Amino acid sequence: MSTLTTEGTVGLGIRRISASKKPDTTTKQYPELAILVDISSCIGCKACEAACQQWHDLTPPIMTPEEVVQRRIAGYQSHPDLRHDLFMLMKFNEGESEGRFVWFITKYQCMHCAEPGCLIACPSPGAVIQYQNGIVDFDHSKCIGCKMCLVGCPFDVPRFDANNKPWKCNFCIDRVTAGLEPACVKTCPTQCLTFGFKEDMVEKGKKIVQSLKERGYKNATLYDPPGVGGTGYIYVLPHGDKVKEYNLPENPRVDASIGLWKGPLKVLGSIAIWGALLGAFLQLILWGPIKVLGGKEEDKEG
Amino acid sequence: MDIERFSATDRILHWVTAIAFLYCMLSGIGIAYPKFHWMLTLLGGGEFARWLHPWAGAVFSVGAILMILKWSRDMVMKGEDWLWLMRIKAYISGRHEDLPEVGKFNGGQKLYSWVVFLSAVIFFLSGLPMWFPENFSIGLVRWSVVVHEITFIVATFFTVIHIYMGTIGVPGSIWGMIGGKVSETWARFHHPRWFREVRGE
Ligand code: HEM
Ligand code: SF4
Ligand code: SF4
Ligand code: SF4
Repeated sequence: MSTLTTEGTVGLGIRRISASKKPDTTTKQYPELAILVDISSCIGCKACEAACQQWHDLTPPIMTPEEVVQRRIAGYQSHPDLRHDLFMLMKFNEGESEGRFVWFITKYQCMHCAEPGCLIACPSPGAVIQYQNGIVDFDHSKCIGCKMCLVGCPFDVPRFDANNKPWKCNFCIDRVTAGLEPACVKTCPTQCLTFGFKEDMVEKGKKIVQSLKERGYKNATLYDPPGVGGTGYIYVLPHGDKVKEYNLPENPRVDASIGLWKGPLKVLGSIAIWGALLGAFLQLILWGPIKVLGGKEEDKEG
Repeated sequence: MDIERFSATDRILHWVTAIAFLYCMLSGIGIAYPKFHWMLTLLGGGEFARWLHPWAGAVFSVGAILMILKWSRDMVMKGEDWLWLMRIKAYISGRHEDLPEVGKFNGGQKLYSWVVFLSAVIFFLSGLPMWFPENFSIGLVRWSVVVHEITFIVATFFTVIHIYMGTIGVPGSIWGMIGGKVSETWARFHHPRWFREVRGE
């Protein structure tokens, strides 16, 4: 349906494209990639945030002290929210667990869902692409700027520039394609971030969860939400019973309204509109136009 | 002799509303159905069509509301109109003797005017959150899309029929909206009671 011209897409292999027929994925298969975020070894240094901005040449405005007070943001967080020129953000939330103070830290960016709500909701053929390796990215040349990707995203991720084009973490697809690890992973000083095949990352995450449990974090979990088919960013959460405190949705899934809109309502709309056209055509060929006096005296008076 | 059916104000209102609606309908189809994405090219390109759609929608909504304010007295549905609608098969198959006598508008036209009015309100209320999704709660935006789509299906169904009847289906009607005058024969045949009223009979 759409003609993809993005350089390198064929090389990477495409799993899915917005508003288009599903590509035949039997020819070329790539293993899924993932980034494991082990919150238990995150020191909140925000080096990843800086690296992300540096690699992508982003210069989001720095918050003024007044803004910090006004928005009631824990002083350590650098921006209130993601922006079109800020693809990832370390979020900080002060809370407690079992009577002890806990700093809930999350790395917040696109999750690279296996079932991406952004792609499912997008009406423009080719504007959202999911590669075989699981990376979800936009093609601005095909995007019509309708913001439906934000409406479909269960993680509230895409942000829009002045022309209504969406921006988000693209998994450093340029680096990954060149065989490098993503910028944020490369820079992480504690090995809180690891990049590799999804299978290996899940295994590694499970091991960390196990050792956390042995050290007394009995609610530790691996966050890889099945509601969206799993994600390309997976998290080891030491306090797995407090997913919300980490600013992560508890059971994210593509909203039922999106399925209704893209499924049954499209079929119903086609039937109604083609049906009306067919009905009009049948009237025409069965009985003909409704002429004055059945067409008999038209000449005399009309 | 021709008689006036729609004043200049009526005609301007109708065409502003109709053209805005058509733009919304065609760009909406292009956005909603990937197979018809190419239509957006004819409407100025995807980006432009998506930009103009809500503005055209606003024009349509205002126009439709003004129109119903002006025409509402003629559009009130009465018992005879429901009867007319129930016997619509007689109308489209040319057996007009089986139908109740019609005034300025028949049951089908009255029903369509209310569909347009209601859709103008619902399109606008559901379109607004879709226009500015960052300023509304995400749940409201998501269900607005569903409501917008259902309204689109109903309004487009009726509009296809409306356009057919106005052009090919009922020869002579179009002159009521182009130039504003219809022939006496046409008026007497399709809207006999209105014809007598105009004549002061
Ligand atoms: C009255 C004011 C209106 C406003 C403010 C409005 C606003 C919008 C917006 C912002 C969208 C973008 C969503 C997207 O790109 O997917 C949209 C989509 C759409 N609109 Fe409207 N609109 C209005 C009227 C209409 C009318 C009159 C029609 C048709 C007769 C219409 C039919 C559609 C359709 C079919 C879609 C596509 C939905 C989909 O993707 O399935 N709208 N509208
Ligand atoms: S997190 Fe949102 S933007 Fe990222 S892939 Fe999932 S649905 Fe798309
Ligand atoms: S704004 Fe998002 S949903 Fe709309 S066309 Fe662009 S990528 Fe697709
Ligand atoms: S993968 Fe790349 S784009 Fe995504 S957060 Fe890390 S550095 Fe930023």
